[in-house]
Amino acid sequence: MKKVCFAVPCAVLCAVVLAGCGSSARRIDPTTQGVTTVKDVNTRDWQDVSTRAVNSLIASGALVRPDGRKTIVMINEVRDRSGARARTQILTNKMRQALLASGKALTTTAVGGNGPEDNATRQVRELENDDLFNQATVQKRGTVIAPDMSLSGEIINQATNAGRTRENTFYFHVVLTDLQTGLAVWEDNFDISKQETVSIFGY
Amino acid sequence: MKRQGLFAAAAVLAALGLAGCQDTINTVENRDLAMTPSAVDTRAFNTDSFCRDRLALVSTRSTVTPGGVMMVQAQIRSERYGFWSELWSGMTGTNPYHVLYRFDWMDENGMAVSTAANAWQTAIFAPGETKFLQGVAPNSRCRDFILSVREDPSAK
Repeated sequence: MKKVCFAVPCAVLCAVVLAGCGSSARRIDPTTQGVTTVKDVNTRDWQDVSTRAVNSLIASGALVRPDGRKTIVMINEVRDRSGARARTQILTNKMRQALLASGKALTTTAVGGNGPEDNATRQVRELENDDLFNQATVQKRGTVIAPDMSLSGEIINQATNAGRTRENTFYFHVVLTDLQTGLAVWEDNFDISKQETVSIFGY
Repeated sequence: MKRQGLFAAAAVLAALGLAGCQDTINTVENRDLAMTPSAVDTRAFNTDSFCRDRLALVSTRSTVTPGGVMMVQAQIRSERYGFWSELWSGMTGTNPYHVLYRFDWMDENGMAVSTAANAWQTAIFAPGETKFLQGVAPNSRCRDFILSVREDPSAK
């Protein structure tokens, strides 16, 4: 009886100590060690979608121009309608880097869906009225190259609950629009579906 | 003795039932193929015998896209069908089979070209399913590639 009375509190104490143990901070590979949640767009999802989007766009040949010069692409808004507060710049930043690496396109930072990515293009031209600067070195107006195409998109999600099972599918839609004609010259859809079964304790 | 026999019979029936609910893939294709693919000779370096045995590389083909870059396609089939494979995958919860794959590209100087498209991607195989893993070179200078495949540790 005494042994049982001693063993039970010991077991409870061990359980409490083990449950409270954490791990120290460490670098991880987000693809294989990152956290996957059903209701959010996780790092691994961004990597997956951006890879597929880049491959699809480059393989399509939509960036190839008959005159041989590089296509100028403007990064427009990727609207997040998923409610997951997705940081869509992750996708557009990865795509723009891949576009530059392809050698087929250049991206402009002078215009963008949410305003210019770099205000400096406009700011430096205001120096033409500033006698502090050597006017021969100030960038002239009428020299900035306008974009040929615009990259935009949308993220939508569809959530479903069945008993203790929760499922969420994110639909990524990316479009490349020819700004001269307003026509979509490339677009693709990418789906990420995730599912979990919640325990009877609710987590 | 009777109890042991009943227990053994129940275990066999349970195993058969488990293996029989795997939903494997049957395929049909035209016998006389009209396509003229450009096959790629490959060499493999396997460190995971489980992954090697569970996925069969059926073919590797390449083409040049309208954008002038190389595109590679690896046709891979899941070999996790049959009684013992299905029983084991059912018991371990690894059906369907989750793997990660990544294409790495080298330019004409043998230097790896790293872009956003170098990330690991997910492929999910039902037993007996064939999938086409495609990779697109980041630019027209890339002509050589390495396809890496690994089991997805987060899916276990």
